[in-house]
Amino acid sequence: MTTKKTIKSAFESMMFVWGEPLDVKIAADAMGVAKPEALEYFKELQMEYDEQERGIRIREINGKFQFVTDESNFDYIRSVCTPVRERRLTQAALEVLAIVAYKQPVTKSEIDSIRGVKSDRVLDGLTRKGLVEERGRSAAIGRPVLYGTTEIFLTNFDLKTIKDLPAIEDIEDAIQFEEEKTVVEIRQTSLNLEQ
Amino acid sequence: MSYKVKLNIFEGPFDLLVYLIENAEMSIYDIRVSEITAQYIRHIELMKEQDVMVGAEFLVLAATLIELKSKMLLPRIKVDGEIEEDPRAELAQRLIEYTRFKKRAAALEEQLGYAMTKFAKPKEDLTPYTGEADEYLRMDMGEFIEAFKAFIYKKQKSEELKAMHHRVERERMSVAAKKKTIRQLFRKAKNRFISFRDLLLPDSDRYDKVITFVSLLEMIKAGLAGARQSGNFKEIEVEVKRNGHDDEKNNQISV
Repeated sequence: MTTKKTIKSAFESMMFVWGEPLDVKIAADAMGVAKPEALEYFKELQMEYDEQERGIRIREINGKFQFVTDESNFDYIRSVCTPVRERRLTQAALEVLAIVAYKQPVTKSEIDSIRGVKSDRVLDGLTRKGLVEERGRSAAIGRPVLYGTTEIFLTNFDLKTIKDLPAIEDIEDAIQFEEEKTVVEIRQTSLNLEQ
Repeated sequence: MSYKVKLNIFEGPFDLLVYLIENAEMSIYDIRVSEITAQYIRHIELMKEQDVMVGAEFLVLAATLIELKSKMLLPRIKVDGEIEEDPRAELAQRLIEYTRFKKRAAALEEQLGYAMTKFAKPKEDLTPYTGEADEYLRMDMGEFIEAFKAFIYKKQKSEELKAMHHRVERERMSVAAKKKTIRQLFRKAKNRFISFRDLLLPDSDRYDKVITFVSLLEMIKAGLAGARQSGNFKEIEVEVKRNGHDDEKNNQISV
């Protein structure tokens, strides 16, 4: 007999074995329940782990769920495990990735134009790492390839969806303010010229 | 332990320019073009001195800066009193766009640092339970050694065979040899015409067909044979000539 309790228990076991983010649809089909219902159970599980402040938490990535360790235990984990390979990216890779992530879908020439330098090799590297993928072609002349970020990107950066990218509005505000000030200054200089 | 060297290399011309502007405490919207251009060019020279590869894009921006510098000297008021756009506006716009993504790149790096404090497990290998498990053979050490020997023997045999195979390839029939066999066939021929097929080897492959055809053409050219064909894709009939000079008139090739 499948009750809510047994379904949730099964989801926990599945997530444990699956390791990678588990698609709600797959889990729902396995238990013969509807997807919205399954999603609700996953969210409940997630909340329970958070409320009990467990060392293992459930995180959501792109509508999929995954067990991860609690970030506050990082230092303890590190002290018992051999150093984990760092997934650091070069400055160039981060720049290209930022452009793709925040501007997607984006063409290679748009990326080059923003950076003022060719980005082919960096883009290839990111594609090989599975962080960036082709997303069809633009309707522009030459039908250039469009690039976007992947689910691996979301997982590696611990983002629920692409909307959860770190916001940088405060910086834009500062720029806007500066812009207004400069416009005034330019007007003043031109007035002086006229006199 | 890994050893990493971090050099202060600029990712591109904008990276360098933004660095110089920030260093000079200027506003991106109000670049003192002359000052920045001088600094920028000095920096490129420095890079050249240090044998750093200076990409073409660095020089393109240098040219843009110099152009801008000259434009700044001209008055910006048109005849009808209108004020032209600040020539620096386009560059400023591009630099703003660049810094915006540079900040975002930094934000991403921070996010990555945070994400790396969480650990996930790789997916479990469930193949032993899915019925596609590896096959286990029950055998003792003696049997295993025998099996391994048999494997090595087979491997060696096939290597030898491959080596032989190569030699055969190289010793395939030449046109000269084929011509000789055709002449022998002519000598044995009872009729004046024989089929082209009769010239081929019993297990003729493409190579043999081609070499036979080429040989025949050479023989026709030398007057040692003739050929006729009643239509496209019809049987080619080869006229037997036992020596080079009999029946020269009938030496016709119909295609």
